[in-house]
Amino acid sequence: MLFWILVAVLTAAVAIALLLPLMRAAAPLPSAHSHDVEVYRDQLEELARDREAGLISQEDAELARAEIGRRLIAANAADEPVREGLPKRVASNRLAQLVILLCLPAIGLGLYLTTGSPGVPAQPLAARLANPGDDVNILIAKAENHLAVNPEDGAGWDLLAPIYMRNGRVDDAVAAYDRAIRLLGGSAARLGGYAEALIVQSGGVVTADAQNALRKALALDPDDPRSEFYLALGLKQEGKHADALAAFRKLAGTSPADAPWLPVVNQHIAELSRSASGEGDALPPGDPTSGDVAAAQEMSPGDRQAMIRGMVDSLAARLKEDPANFEGWVRLIRSYLVLDQREKAANALRDGLKAFPAAGEEGRQLLALGRELGIEASGEEQ
Amino acid sequence: MIIELGHYALVLALATAIIQAALPVLGVRRGDRSLMDLASSAAIVSFLLVFFSFAVLTFAYVTSDFSVRNVWENSHSLKPLIYKVSGVWGNHEGSMLLWLLILVFFSMLVASFGRNLPDTLKANVLAVQAWISTAFTLFILLTSNPFARLVPAPGEGRDLNPVLQDIGLAIHPPLLYLGYVGFSVCFSFAIAALIEGRIDAAWARWVRPWTLAAWTALTAGIAMGSYWAYYELGWGGWWFWDPVENASFMPWLAGTALLHSALVMEKREALKIWTVLLAILTFSLSLLGTFLVRSGVLTSVHAFATDPTRGVFILAILVLFIGGAFALFALRASHLKAGGLFAPISREGALVLNNLILTTATATVLTGTLYPLVLEALTGDKISVGAPFFNITFGLLMLPLLFAVPFGPLLAWKRGDLAGAGQRLFAATAAGLLVAAVLYHAKNGGPILAPLGIGLGAYLILGAVTDLMLRSGIGKVAGRVAARRLAGLPRSAFGTALAHIGLGVTLIGIVAVTAYETETVVEMKPGMLAEAGGGYTLRFDGMREGRGPNYTEDSGHFTVSQGGVKVTEIWSSKRLYSARRMPTTEAGIRTFGLSQLYVSLGDEMAGGGIVVRIWWKPLILCIWGGALFMMTGGIVSLSDRRLRVGTPSRARKAPPLAVGAAE
Repeated sequence: MLFWILVAVLTAAVAIALLLPLMRAAAPLPSAHSHDVEVYRDQLEELARDREAGLISQEDAELARAEIGRRLIAANAADEPVREGLPKRVASNRLAQLVILLCLPAIGLGLYLTTGSPGVPAQPLAARLANPGDDVNILIAKAENHLAVNPEDGAGWDLLAPIYMRNGRVDDAVAAYDRAIRLLGGSAARLGGYAEALIVQSGGVVTADAQNALRKALALDPDDPRSEFYLALGLKQEGKHADALAAFRKLAGTSPADAPWLPVVNQHIAELSRSASGEGDALPPGDPTSGDVAAAQEMSPGDRQAMIRGMVDSLAARLKEDPANFEGWVRLIRSYLVLDQREKAANALRDGLKAFPAAGEEGRQLLALGRELGIEASGEEQ
Repeated sequence: MIIELGHYALVLALATAIIQAALPVLGVRRGDRSLMDLASSAAIVSFLLVFFSFAVLTFAYVTSDFSVRNVWENSHSLKPLIYKVSGVWGNHEGSMLLWLLILVFFSMLVASFGRNLPDTLKANVLAVQAWISTAFTLFILLTSNPFARLVPAPGEGRDLNPVLQDIGLAIHPPLLYLGYVGFSVCFSFAIAALIEGRIDAAWARWVRPWTLAAWTALTAGIAMGSYWAYYELGWGGWWFWDPVENASFMPWLAGTALLHSALVMEKREALKIWTVLLAILTFSLSLLGTFLVRSGVLTSVHAFATDPTRGVFILAILVLFIGGAFALFALRASHLKAGGLFAPISREGALVLNNLILTTATATVLTGTLYPLVLEALTGDKISVGAPFFNITFGLLMLPLLFAVPFGPLLAWKRGDLAGAGQRLFAATAAGLLVAAVLYHAKNGGPILAPLGIGLGAYLILGAVTDLMLRSGIGKVAGRVAARRLAGLPRSAFGTALAHIGLGVTLIGIVAVTAYETETVVEMKPGMLAEAGGGYTLRFDGMREGRGPNYTEDSGHFTVSQGGVKVTEIWSSKRLYSARRMPTTEAGIRTFGLSQLYVSLGDEMAGGGIVVRIWWKPLILCIWGGALFMMTGGIVSLSDRRLRVGTPSRARKAPPLAVGAAE
C-alpha cells in the first residue's frame, strides 16, 4: 500500500514540476536576432581588450573590427520588430496540461505494470543472512560460507548435498556427496544419493560409477529400495532384460503395498515382460528412455563417446560376473570396435569363448563374428 | 520496495522525456514561450528521476540484493565495495543506464546554464536531447531492464568478470561515456539549427565548449582505457586496433575535427554547414560505437541470433537518428547561410586541411572496422583487418597532418603567409632534425624511421612553444613586457599549445616504444637471472601463494638490479577468482623515469620453472602523458573567459537570476 502511495506522490510531484511553467505568465519572446547582436557586441569588447593588451596589431584589430561591424549591421537590419507578447494561449496550454496529466500516469503505470514486479520487496543480503527464515538459497549460502572456511566438515557436506539436489544444482550435489563420502565414509543413503546425482548428471543413464556406488550402498543396506531400483534400471538400459525383470520383480515383492515408487516399478515390469514374451515391439538395445535419447542428442560427440564408454564398461563388468550371456558378449565386442579399441575387443572375444567354447553353436558364432570383424581371439588356442 | 520505486522512476522518466520531446517543439512552432520553458523543467525532472533510478540500482549492488537479476548476474557479496559500485556499469544493463544518466545530465546542464541561449534554440536542443533519451529509455526498459527481479532470490551472486575488477572500471567507462554522450549536445545543436533553418552567432559559441568538454572527457577515457588494457591484460600492448578501441577512436577523430571547425566557425563564421555536418557525424559515430559494443556484433556477427531484440533495437535507433539527421541535413542545409570567405593559405585553410585529413582518417578506421563485419555477414568469410592495415593507412594519413600542425596557429586568419610561418618555425624544425640526428647517432643501427619520428614529435612540441613565444614577443621585447604579454594571452592559446605539445609527446612515446621496445620470454627457476632490457637484470626469487577477498593468487618475486646493484623489486601474479573459476594476470610493472619494466607470468613448466615474459618499454609513459597534456589543454581552453555568450537585451532589463530561481 505504502508503495502505491509513494508512486502516486512521485507522479504528482513530476506533474506539478512540469505544469508550473505552463501556469506562469510567460514574457514575450525577444526578437530572433537580439542574441546575435549581443554576441557581436561582446566580440567588439573582446577585440578592444586584446588590442589594449597588445595581443594583436593595430592593423589586425581594424580589420577585425570592420568585419564584426559588418555582421552587426547585418544582424540589426535583419531584425524584425519585437513580436508583441502573444495573447495567453489559455486553450492550447490547457491542452498541453491535459496531455501532461494524462501522459504521466498512463505511460508510467501502463509500462510499469507490464515490466515491474510491484509486490516484490527489496532483499538486501545482510538482512536475509540475519533472518533467513525458510529462504533455502540463504541457508545454502550460509552453509557454503561455513564450508568455505571449514572444508573438512563432512557432516556439512552431507547436509548440503541433498539440498543441492532438490534445487537442481546437480554438479554441486555430485561434488558435495563425493566430499561427504570421502570425509565420512559411505552409508547407504549417502552412496545412493551420490549415485542418483551421477545418474541425473548423465541425463538418466546409470553409469558404471553410479552402479559401483549403488552396489556399495546395497552391501551396506541390502533392502535399500532406491539402490535396487537404479540397479534394475541399469540392467534394463544395458539390454539385460531378463535380469532387469527379475530385479524389478524382487523390488516389487519386497516393497510395501503403498510405496510411492511401485507404479513406476510395475510399469517397468510390464514393459519388460511384454518384450520377454515377444509381444509388441521388442525393446531397443540399451532401452534408453526418451529423456536419455534427448540428452544424448544434445551431447557433444565427446560426451556421447563418454556415455557409450560408461555403458560399455558396466556391461564388461557384468559379463565378468555372469559370463553366461551370449548376446552380451556379442554386443561388447561390437561396442569395443565402435570405440576403436581392437585389443579390448579381441580380449572380449577370448573371454566370450571361455564361456561359450568354440565347439558349441554359440562359440562358432563368436568365432564367425571375430572373422567378420577382422579380429583374432588372442590366445584362443590355449 | 525501494527497488520497485527506482524502476517506476525510470518509467516516469520515459513519460517525462516523451513530453519533453513533443511539447517544446510545438511551442517553438506557435511562438508559445511557456511550452518552450517546459523543456527546461522537464530536462531537470528527467535528470532527477534517472539519477534516483541509478542510485537505487547502486544501492541494490552495495547491499547485494540478489532479488535483482542484474545484481545476481554481476555481483558477489564478498567483492570489495568499490567494485560493487563500479560493477553497476560493468554489465550491459547497468552501462546503458549510466549512458542514459549522462545524457540527461547534459540535458540538465543545457537547461540550467543555457539561460543566455535564444529561447527557440534552447527548446529545440532540449527536445532533440529528449528524442535521444526517449529512444534509449525505451531500449533499456524493453530489452535490457536492470530492474528485472528474481524470485526466489539466490543466496550468492555470480560475481563480476574478474578482468573488470579493477580501479579502471570505476574511471574508464564514465569518462568514455561523458565523451560519447557529450557529443549528443553538439548533435542536438546541429539538429536544432537545421530545424530552425538558421545558425545564430550564439550557436558557434555554445557548440565549441560542449565539443571541448566532450573531447576532453573522451581523450581521458580512451587514454585510461588504453592504460588499463596495458596493465591488466598482461600482453604488454597499449593499442591493438581492436574494433572496440576503434569504436571509441572514431568519434575522437571526428570530434577533433569538429573542435577545429567549430573554432573557425566561432571566430570567422565560416564553415557553418560543414560544422553542422561534423557535429552530426561525430555523434553518429558515438552511436555506432555504442551499437558495435552493446549489440554483441563485435565478438561475433551471430550475436544477433543470441539476443536479436537488443541488436535490432539499437540498430533501429541508429538508423532512425543517423538516417534522420542526414536526411534533415540534405533537406535543410541549403537554407543555412554560408559563411565568410578565406584564402587557401590562412588559419582557416590550415584548419580545413586538418578537417580533411581527420575525416579521411576516420573513414579509414571505419572501413577497417566494418569491412570484416560486412564481409562476414554477406559471404560468411572471416577475415581480420589487423594492425598492419591501420598502421600503414592511418600512419601515412597522419604524417602530413603532423607536419602541418605547428603551422596552423602561426598563420593569420583569412589570409596568411606560409613562407613567414615557415621561417618562424625554422628553429623548431632545425631542433627536431637535431634531435633525430643525435638519436640516430646514439642508437645507430636501429630502425631508420624511428629517430625521424621522434624528431617529428620534438618539432611538434617546439612548434607549439614557438607559437607562444612569438605571440608574447619573447626575444623581441624586454623580458618583463614579454612576461606580461604571455600572462595576458588568452587561455585558449595556451590550450592550443598544450594540446599540440601533447600530440608531440604521445608521438614520441609511440615511436620510442614501437622501435626500441625489447621483449624477452624465458623459462625461469628460482635464482635464475634474465636480461630485462634497458640495462636492467631480473632475478627470479620464487613464488608465494596468497588470497584476496574473492580470489587466490600465485605471486612471483623478482629482484631488479643494474650493474650488479639491487635497484628495486617486482611482484607479478596470476589470480584465480573463485566464483567464476577464471584466471587473470596481474603484471608486475616498475617505472623508471618515463620508461617501464613489465613482467608477466606465463605457464608453470614441469620441473619447477615458470615462463616469464619481460618487456622493456622505453618512454611508454609519454603515450598517456601526451593525453594528459591534451586533456589539460582542453580544460584550460574550456576555462577561457571569452567563451561566455553575451547576455541578450531582455535579460538585462530583468536580472537573469529571477529566471533561474523560478526554474
